[in-house]
Amino acid sequence: MLRYARLYACFVRFSFSRAMEFRMDFFFRIGMDALWYFVNLAFFWVLYRHTASLGGWGYDQVLVFVGGVFFVDALHMTIFSNNLWWLPITINKGDLDYYLVRPVSSLFFLSLRDFAANSFVNLFMALGVLAWTLAHFPEPLGALPVTLYIAMLFLGLFLYYVLHMLFLIPSFWMHTGGGLREIFYALEPYATRPHGVFRGWVRRILVSLLPFALIMSFPAQALLEDLALPVLAHMAGATAAAFLLMLWLWRRGLRAYVSASS
Amino acid sequence: MTPRLFWHVCGVEARKRMSYRVDFWLSSIGGFLAQLGVAYFIVLALFHGSGRPTIGGFTFQGMILYYAAVILLGRVVRGTEADQTIAQDIYEGGLTRYLLYPTSYTVFKYAQNVGTLVPALLQLFLLGAWFPLALGTPEGARITGASIAMGVGASVLASVLYFLLVWPIQAIAFWADNVWSLMLAHRILANLMGGLLVPLTLFPEWAQRALALLPFPLLFAFPVDALLGRLDLHQWLKGIALGLLWCTALIVIGRAVWRRGDRRYAGVGI
Repeated sequence: MLRYARLYACFVRFSFSRAMEFRMDFFFRIGMDALWYFVNLAFFWVLYRHTASLGGWGYDQVLVFVGGVFFVDALHMTIFSNNLWWLPITINKGDLDYYLVRPVSSLFFLSLRDFAANSFVNLFMALGVLAWTLAHFPEPLGALPVTLYIAMLFLGLFLYYVLHMLFLIPSFWMHTGGGLREIFYALEPYATRPHGVFRGWVRRILVSLLPFALIMSFPAQALLEDLALPVLAHMAGATAAAFLLMLWLWRRGLRAYVSASS
Repeated sequence: MTPRLFWHVCGVEARKRMSYRVDFWLSSIGGFLAQLGVAYFIVLALFHGSGRPTIGGFTFQGMILYYAAVILLGRVVRGTEADQTIAQDIYEGGLTRYLLYPTSYTVFKYAQNVGTLVPALLQLFLLGAWFPLALGTPEGARITGASIAMGVGASVLASVLYFLLVWPIQAIAFWADNVWSLMLAHRILANLMGGLLVPLTLFPEWAQRALALLPFPLLFAFPVDALLGRLDLHQWLKGIALGLLWCTALIVIGRAVWRRGDRRYAGVGI
């Protein structure tokens, strides 16, 4: 475990050195993420000009939810995003060989190697928005529920990573993973919109089979509707199940991998 | 570039785009349904929450039809924007081989861009044609032969305008090592200000007046409104004139950026 922690520290150090080499991109990315935050806030601001409630949540409640969305997204962009972008390309070009021969878990290496230093700066911006939305909530939220909310956002982050991987692992069997990746990106808004707006079987799917609603909406629901324990149990169960499925598929994928043009 | 060569380049690019068929159908049908699904539930919650029969001049069905059209037309307008081929050519030194071609590099890239629109056009016809039939013609929309012709004209203009907006951004690769973030920033901004995320009539009056001066509404909202018969001839002509003005300004800006960048280009790649 300590060896992996030391290795990860190396990844982080190299990532910062690399980011400093490409300074313009470093600042472009900070600007891009700030713009994404602005556009998301503007989106809900425009909608709430025409309604007092969206899927059962008022504007202040949605702001807390959006703060959580920014936090999870910034973490995902910092820790996983670059790595997962390259994963299908690495598989299809046969570059996986380099990772399979190393004396560490290939899943660890491929998921965490590229730490996005520029997004790490945005993490502070996202944390600022999250703190602001929590502090400006009209009712007192309490330290314990807020701590639990943050913890659940971390669980949501892990689920986000697992779901993303589940859409990329089929690249082992397909010639290109572009189509599934596009679908994942198209499904992401189901996580970044309050799950209360979804109804019927779509809502049932979003909390079970494709648990996108659990990533960011469930933590906010636990905080805002005082449902911490049942929501936490649901999230933990779904995350564990999705993680086991991912591990199983990853192992099968590695067995199917035939190096170049797999 | 001769028209024959232009269409040949388009054809080659179109075939390339459709060579991964599973990918194509997965991203076209799956992506469209997923995007429309989110829009449907947001619109449903919006109308449910407000309790009003119309919002921003749209009925519920009208807004769904707007979203279906804007998602599909948005793909046609955007073309290869995500591919960053121009920036890549500059950064990797691939631009050098085009210098030997007896044709303009930018026109060549635009021809490739038009080629990538073919799959998006196919999606527009296959997935979009049955929508007005299923939803009927909602209040405020009137799809006629004239509106389709106006929509096609506005879409052609939007596609050229989008390419011209992206061209100087990609040319920044002459100075910066990676313009991916800039491209994404442009896309995020265009989605909001162009009416892809929310119909522009939902914005406050002052924002609508400010947006009307920018090129972004001409990318998505304008062609969709024209196609759905929400514009009269006068509004359409005004939009086309503004679009042509923006195209001219962007050509001047793009050429200036390109000329300055070209002087720095060493052709050595990474």
